[in-house]
Amino acid sequence: MSTPLTARIVEEHANASRALPPAGPTAARRRTALAALTASGLPTSRDENWKYANLRPLERLRFVPAAPAQPVAATDLPAAIPGFARYVFVDGAFAPALSAALNATATAVTPLCAAGDAAGTSAAPAHTPGADADERFALLNEAFATDGAAIRVAAHPEEPVRLELVFVASADAHSGASYPRLELRLESQAQLLLIERHVSAGPGASFVNSAVTVDVGAGATLHHYRLQELAVRAIVFDTLCAAVGRDACYRLHGINIGAQSARSTLAVRLTGERADLRLAVVALGEHQQVQDTYARVEHAAPRAHTEQVFRGISAGRARVAFNGKIVVGSEAHGTDSRQSLRGLLAGPEAEIDVRPQLEIYTDEVRCSHGATAGKLDENMLFYLLSRGLEPEVAQRLLKWAFLEDVVAKIGVAELRRQIEERLALQVPEPFARAESA
Amino acid sequence: MAASRTPLLAIDDLHVSVEGKKILNGLTLQVRAGEVHAIMGPNGSGKSTLAHVLAGRPGYEITAGTVSYEGRDLLALAPEERARQGVFLGFQYPVEIPGVNNVYLLKAAVNAVRQQRGLPEVDAFEFLGLVREKMKRMHIEDSFLSRGVNEGFSGGEKKRNEVLQMLVLEPRLAILDETDSGLDIDALKVVAAGVNSQRSPERACLLVTHYQRLLEYVVPDIVHVLVRGRIARSGDRTLALELERRGYDWVTGEAA
Ligand SMILES: Nc1ncnc2c1ncn2[C@@H]1O[C@H](COP(=O)(O)OP(=O)(O)OP(=O)(O)O)[C@@H](O)[C@H]1O
Ligand SMILES: [Mg+2]
Repeated sequence: MSTPLTARIVEEHANASRALPPAGPTAARRRTALAALTASGLPTSRDENWKYANLRPLERLRFVPAAPAQPVAATDLPAAIPGFARYVFVDGAFAPALSAALNATATAVTPLCAAGDAAGTSAAPAHTPGADADERFALLNEAFATDGAAIRVAAHPEEPVRLELVFVASADAHSGASYPRLELRLESQAQLLLIERHVSAGPGASFVNSAVTVDVGAGATLHHYRLQELAVRAIVFDTLCAAVGRDACYRLHGINIGAQSARSTLAVRLTGERADLRLAVVALGEHQQVQDTYARVEHAAPRAHTEQVFRGISAGRARVAFNGKIVVGSEAHGTDSRQSLRGLLAGPEAEIDVRPQLEIYTDEVRCSHGATAGKLDENMLFYLLSRGLEPEVAQRLLKWAFLEDVVAKIGVAELRRQIEERLALQVPEPFARAESA
Repeated sequence: MAASRTPLLAIDDLHVSVEGKKILNGLTLQVRAGEVHAIMGPNGSGKSTLAHVLAGRPGYEITAGTVSYEGRDLLALAPEERARQGVFLGFQYPVEIPGVNNVYLLKAAVNAVRQQRGLPEVDAFEFLGLVREKMKRMHIEDSFLSRGVNEGFSGGEKKRNEVLQMLVLEPRLAILDETDSGLDIDALKVVAAGVNSQRSPERACLLVTHYQRLLEYVVPDIVHVLVRGRIARSGDRTLALELERRGYDWVTGEAA
């Protein structure tokens, strides 16, 4: 199914042979991805789960990997998080000067360009991205990405490993795309705290297409904090495919604040018995931003547990959407899933759409879902005004309160502080916190 | 003396409708500094409407009449300005605001008043001490400090929290809308003690209540009966006793 768009992608791919060497360890993989992409085409707004995404920019975007526009300094990056080893990628390429030393002990962090297929980290991913039609942007990443992080975490007797990956977009979309890429594997019983941030350096009209694969082995625990805080002119497509094994625990916190237009596709399969997933997404849209998230959780094993939470605020003329789907397969008896999706409309011209979907192919499950979208509660607002608060402060306070229960679950104190500062919607001081003894 | 001063609150011939329905029909009432007025009246007679209109809640249409507070036009002020000028409404149904901490709200409210008066913000540590002391007086337990505004509070706890806020804010005019409803006997005494501690020659209180019992503890200077949106009868505290004996029919019949 060749379309003018895929034809152009193929052409750009062919012309980018300098950036994308036709030989070498990842070349075959790229070719396969490109062929798959040509066969399937990229999603269009007619596709079921793509109604709210902003796909128009694709017509004018360039797909070749961009060369970094300017040197990025440590001062361009967000403040470091104590205790976390930081690895920085600029326009998809590893930046050793800004990064902690690579190590190959219990945790192996390997730049993909160095590793190729040789490191074995990327061998046989638990879940092949692009296999599902909603994951086609991952194919685009696979076809063009030149670098990325391969992380393998072995079981570690003591503390969980703490890593921070910062993906910086510096190039303008005119000069090409940025392809952040992460292949993560936690071996059985391993523990990892991972912060994954997407930020901009420079004016930030970048095109970012990120792809992440996650494999949480049996009994392993992953706390994964994903922050999308790109500059206001950036366009980002993001695809995360995860598999969670037996007795494994995956906590995925997504905070989507940045970019002009953002689409995130999260596909999580619970493949092992008693796998435990908590997926919580916060999205803020203002001005003319588009924040679209599609989260699909598939229960493919018995007695697994999912909690899916969304809190979104749409202000100005923004469009914020969350489509949360839970599929309970025929083998997934004893499934326990909960969905709590809430949207807040903070302006007469803003749009919000929250959609819970449930597909169940077995008996004996406990699945509950709640979804609401509405305006700020007028009784709450008046209560605060009647106590002397400025209307503007009162509104910010209520927006904050709307997000608070999700943000409070971010277990890394310094990260939570930074997020609060961003989300705090400039409230005079942190007020959600207990002030007790 | 008192009578010669201009009233703290003067409501004159107030007419209010909600969604086209007339609720207050020519209500006139004067409250002087130092006084406590009780407002009684049957369900739906307009007591909460009056309280809300005084606090500035949107959605009410004032079709005629005036309200002056400290000699100025109260109705011209935004709700938050009224609060900063010392008007306090204790809600009949206090709302729960999960995610906004109780103490944060108290502090923000106090600082709003202080800002108005050109004072610096309160010292956080001293403030917490003050709140703790008043909490003790209201028999509010410590966990309150870490909870969201009214979050998961029982009916009685919410009412005590309203009084706590009043004690911290020290308003000049307190309007308490059925703050005694739903309280157990001990809580009623605690709330009454809280209200009494606020009595002073500079301040006044409008107590909306259905029960004579509260008025045994907080002795009002004047009792009014509101019927169909206007004051049908006023008298001293014995009026409350008489109402208890004879019921509202006695007054509503007369007012009709
Ligand atoms: N928003 C509204 N829309 C329509 N009618 C309203 C509205 N608010 C109040 N009313 C009506 O106004 C009348 C007075 O209500 P109000 O709450 O002031 O009574 P009240 O004297 O406080 O009664 P109670 O003793 O039950 O608390 C009632 O008939 C009520 O139904
Ligand atoms: Mg009432």
